[in-house]
Parts: sequence; structure tokens; C-alpha cells
Amino acid sequence: MPTVDTAAPATGSPARPSEPGSVLRPPRWRRTTPWLLLVLAVVAGFGLQTQLYTGQERTASTILMFVSLAVAWNLIGGYAGYACFGQVGFFGLGGYTTAVLMTHARLSFWLALPASAVLVGVFAALIGAPLLRLRGHYFAVAMLGVAEGLREVVTNVPGLTGGGAGITVPTVDAGAPTRWLGNDGFYVLFLLLAGVLVGVGLLVSTSRAGYALRAINQDEDAAAAMGINTTVAKTMALAVSAALTGAVGAAYAFQQVTIYPERLFDVDITVLMVVMVMLGGAGTVIGPVIGAVAVAFASEWLRQHYPLVHTFLLGGLIIAAVILLPQGFTTYVHDAVRTRRFSPLANLRRYRL
Amino acid sequence: MSFALEGISAGYGRVLVLHDVTVTVAPGEIVALVGPNGAGKSTLLRVASGMVRASRGSVRVDDRNLDRASIEQIARAGVAHVPEGRRLFPGLTVRDNLRLGGWQNRNRDLEPVLALFPRLADRLRQAAGSLSGGEQQMCAIARALMSQPRFLLIDELSLGLAPVLVDEIMARLVAIAATGTGILLVEQDAGAALELAARGYVLENGVVVLEGPAAQLAGDARVREAYLGI
Repeated sequence: MPTVDTAAPATGSPARPSEPGSVLRPPRWRRTTPWLLLVLAVVAGFGLQTQLYTGQERTASTILMFVSLAVAWNLIGGYAGYACFGQVGFFGLGGYTTAVLMTHARLSFWLALPASAVLVGVFAALIGAPLLRLRGHYFAVAMLGVAEGLREVVTNVPGLTGGGAGITVPTVDAGAPTRWLGNDGFYVLFLLLAGVLVGVGLLVSTSRAGYALRAINQDEDAAAAMGINTTVAKTMALAVSAALTGAVGAAYAFQQVTIYPERLFDVDITVLMVVMVMLGGAGTVIGPVIGAVAVAFASEWLRQHYPLVHTFLLGGLIIAAVILLPQGFTTYVHDAVRTRRFSPLANLRRYRL
Repeated sequence: MSFALEGISAGYGRVLVLHDVTVTVAPGEIVALVGPNGAGKSTLLRVASGMVRASRGSVRVDDRNLDRASIEQIARAGVAHVPEGRRLFPGLTVRDNLRLGGWQNRNRDLEPVLALFPRLADRLRQAAGSLSGGEQQMCAIARALMSQPRFLLIDELSLGLAPVLVDEIMARLVAIAATGTGILLVEQDAGAALELAARGYVLENGVVVLEGPAAQLAGDARVREAYLGI
């Protein structure tokens, strides 16, 4: 077992190392295949770009942005099971940090993006330390308040943020710290962001931290009894989730050029993240990706074909999906393959709906 | 070199459940803690594992004082707890439950505990919540052993289990103790516990009323009358 740190052998009973590839450890291909698929998906994303015209490219960029957002929310909401309903606060804070840094400090976008991510991560860790003591609904409501509070703060410091009138990032004239990337450039940016975030999701899923978060999700006291410092684990999960969300917000702000508080702190964005993760499969790597692509694609398609009632239809679709697949698509497929019962009705019975 | 609860008084809110209780476990020793419902047995184990703070007294491993230690600090000090109701992670597989047991010491080698409880080997990919009661108890003990603890606290081992399974699991406890792990076994089934243990304590209304070699306790007239139904 080359990857395992050697622990002290059990007192008395000699610890025999299990052979690689035995039933006790997943074989190597099961650990490398997800990474190969991820690389292939990113390459396919570049291939797809050559086939899209401008309008489609912008839509695809939006879908990729939601893939990133869903993957980031999944870290705290899916793995740790702490439903964070204030995630858009991190998105908006990241976007505004980048806009302010580029406008007032004339900082390059390529420095503003990581700076925004770090600032949002630190902010999340500071508010997470007290708020993560709340469980269930209380945490959800508290975070909802944090996002609303952030929006109010941004609206009320017009000298820095432009207030409700919005802020415009200089992108074209000679004074622009970074020139606007163009539709092609932003597609690549969101594609790479999504690739990196799914990679982070993969790392978390197979790491010790991922195990700790899943344990916390199931039974927090029992997790502590395993020697897991649950406060540190939860706070780290929220901070990483927030930092990644802030980075996505930074990219979005630059893409939009002019941003407004109502748009960047729109609670609908949080709701979409939650719905995407829940439908795709919370606490899985691929679930949020599937959920984000499906919901964002359905939303766009309905918007184009039924412009007057598209929100209504999307709502109905989401309700139907939640009833049919309460545990999310990925988990449904996983269960169905394991139990060899593929009928959605059997699934309904299993979850007693 | 032992695990010691010294002069513990503890309770919930203003209600004291334990009064000046002292219990010690030496390495490799099985100690039984018996007593009727509501005597404070589970509360004592919660104090021992850090889930309840003692208002007086101290929790010690060797000479290390763990009075103010959190749950995870006590776990890291080498004291593993198999709580009442097992508290497995029901939605995770048996394998993941065991891996989480070895989380703190990065122990990923399942073979020693699977050798102890071979039934679990067939259930590795199954959700822990779907196991039978006896298998869940085995999984809970195996999970605790993954941290290679020096002391193992087990609450209500036999609760809700078929007698055959209780015998099977208790036989395993002897094997575990033989490797040097000290075991504190809390049981309502006093007969079985005292048969297995070297020493025992009888707890009543939050006070230790009797203690001594298990055989002596099992022969005590009061114990026989009150707990063994003889």
C-alpha cells in the first residue's frame, strides 16, 4: 500500500497489509478513470466551442458557470450536509471584490480573481466559525441573512461600489487593467474554472476531508467520536466552497462588465445551485455537474420556446423531478445498478413518497 | 497505565445523575459495569467519551488529564466508544464506516477487524443502516477497533440482540482484550457481563454500591437477587 501512511501496528495483532487490487481497496483504474474522464470532458468542451455560434457560446458559458457553482455548493451543502442558503452572498462578494479592485486599484483581472477568492474564503471562515454551530434550518436561515446583509452593505457604500446604480469595470480604453476577454475568451475561462472545480470535487470526494464531511453529514457527534475535529472540518468546507464560489463570481462580474447588487446577490442563484445539486445527486462528484447541465439547459430551452411561461414550466419540471428522484439522479442510478431494480416506481416506494 | 474515571459527579442541567463515581480499567482488562435502568451507566460512559462534562472529578488516560477535552481529543487519546444505539453512519457503506474508524490514525487496513468479525467481510459494500442488529453491533465494535484504541468503552452490548449473537460478540471481546486493549463493558445483562469480566462495579442511583472481582460479585447475594434473578 504505497499511498498509506504507516500507522502504529495494532497492539498484539500483527497488521497484515492488504494486497493492492484486493476487495479491500478499489483497483487503480477506478481511481484514475474519473481524472481521465475529466480531462476528456474539458477537451470535448474545447471541441464543442468550434461548433457553436455566438449566442450558443454565451449560453454554454452560463451553463459552465452553473456547473462550477453547483460543484462549489456541493462541498458544504452536499458532502457536509449544511444547506447554505446564502451562497449567492459569496458569489456577489467575489464579483464586487474583483470589480472594485479592477476599477479603483487598476488591478489586473488575473490577480483580482485569486484575491477575491481568498478574501471570500477568509470572510466565510470568519462567519462560519460561529454560524456553523447552528444546525439544520437555523444554519440555512442565518446564511440567508448573511447574503441579504452583504447586498445591503454593497448597496450602501456607493463611493466604492457605485451603490444601486451599479459599477462598470473599465475593459476597453487604454486605462483598462485587463482587456475584455470576448465571448471566446470567457467560454474558455468558464470551461477551465468548471474543470478545476470538478477536480477539487474529485479530490475532496476521495480524501480524508471528504470522509470527515460525509461522517459529519450522517452523525456529527459520532464523527467527533472518530477523532474528527468537526468545527475545523465544517469551517474549512464552507471556506473552500465560498472561495470557489467567489472566484466564479469574479469571472461573472468581469464578463458582465457592469454589475448591480440586485443581480449579483439574486437569491434565485442560490436556489438554482441547491436545486441543481439536489436533482443531480448531493454528495457525489458527477451529480452537481449533471444537475447543473440539465437544469440550466432546460431553463434556456424553455426560455426560447415558451418565453411567457418558462419559469412556470421549469418550476413544474423541478417538482416532478424531486418527486420521482428524491435522492438525485446519480444516487438513483447507483442504487438501481446495485439492487438491479430500475423502475422509477420502485424508487418511489423505496423513498416512501 | 490505565483509564480512570475518578470521583465523577455529573448530570444534566441541575439534576445530578452520578455522585462521586470512581471506575478504573487496566490495559487488557475487561471490566463490567452493571446496574438497573437509570442508574447512570450510560451517563458515566458519556462523561468518559466527552459527550457530557463532569461537574466534579477527572477523566484520565495514564497520567493525562482529559477533564476539559472535547470528544475528538478523547478519541485521539486512545479511548474509543461504542455508544448506545451504535451510532453508525447509516447511509455510508460498512467499508466507509470502518475507514472512518481509522480516520484519526490513517489506518486503512481492514483485515484485522474483518478477521475478528468475518460476517462483515460479506457486507462491505452494503449501507451500514441495512445491516441486522447484531451485524450493526459488530460493525460498531469493528469501527471503534480501527482506531487501534488502548481502551474500548461499550454501552449496552446485548440490547436487542439474539442471545447467540451476544455470545459470539462477547467471545470476540476476550480476543480483543488479549491484545492489550482495556474494555469497559456496560451491561444490563449482569450475568453475561460478570462471567466475561475480571472485575466489576455495581452502580445504583448514581453511586457505586459494590465493586470487586467479577466472580465475587456474581456470587454476592444482593447481586444475585437483584440482577441475576436467582
